[in-house]
Amino acid sequence: MSYSVSRAVVDAFYKAYATRDADKIAPFIHDDVEWTISGPVDYLPFCGIHRGKANVLDLIEHKVKAVLRTFSFVPESIVIDGDQVAMLSRQSAKRTGDGCTISYRVANLMRFRDDKVIVNFSLIDSYDAVEQVFGQQLVAPGAPRAGNGDFVAV
Amino acid sequence: MAKPVPRSVVEGFYKALAASDFVALDPYLDENVTWTISGPVDVLPFCGQRRGKDIVLKLLDRDIPVFLEKRRLTPNAMLIDGDRAAVFGKLMASRGDIGRKISYHIAQFVRFENEKVVDYLSLIDSFDAVEQVLGKQITVPGGVRAGDGELVAI
Repeated sequence: MSYSVSRAVVDAFYKAYATRDADKIAPFIHDDVEWTISGPVDYLPFCGIHRGKANVLDLIEHKVKAVLRTFSFVPESIVIDGDQVAMLSRQSAKRTGDGCTISYRVANLMRFRDDKVIVNFSLIDSYDAVEQVFGQQLVAPGAPRAGNGDFVAV
Repeated sequence: MAKPVPRSVVEGFYKALAASDFVALDPYLDENVTWTISGPVDVLPFCGQRRGKDIVLKLLDRDIPVFLEKRRLTPNAMLIDGDRAAVFGKLMASRGDIGRKISYHIAQFVRFENEKVVDYLSLIDSFDAVEQVLGKQITVPGGVRAGDGELVAI
């Protein structure tokens, strides 16, 4: 019979992941993990593809923290189907440079093997994330910028 | 406890959505459906939150095609868990006015009640989407764009 990850394992994983403590996260990461964060790597250097447990733990413990320090990771939806898990979360962090608070949504698609994450794909609202990390509205050539009275992204 | 949605209903909804078949899509939407596309609404006007079946169908059938024609969703993963479903994939389209092909990552989280969609939220790689829709690189004030030798966003 094919492997299915239990809700208890998923719950334990995201609680560990929310701490951003590599020691707590390590037991849930497979040695051969592939961890991808979709986004502009030249502005958000933690984006890209990271392979192997040591590299992923280094990403979480050092590379992300060089840009922002997450203090809240709240799942809004968790969908578990067999060995795969989709999670929609709201991540809040302080910019490492000046301590300003930023917040954006993250979607994770994970595949588990032996109760460990073997594949992760993270999708972030990257335009919003870049604007908040840099603390400035982006200059999108040729695009009209809405005034204050306009509806703003959710 | 929420009533589980049958896989056949989720697959029927996605078949209609992926094919932009709005006649087929209609019966899958609750009259009071909430439809949210996370992203910069002042650059991508189809982003934001809509409520109500008629408004959502207008968004899909008339508003979005002003910017993106021939939309096709290619799911990489479909997960179903109780009353919820999640789909990760690529959205492909073209800018009809200039004939440019566009493709970006998308994650969708959907909640069903009585076999109808009551809540839809999609997250897109919005930085990538904006650059492709505008056909120009976005300038980040104070940001440093990586050179050709750097790893590029996935």
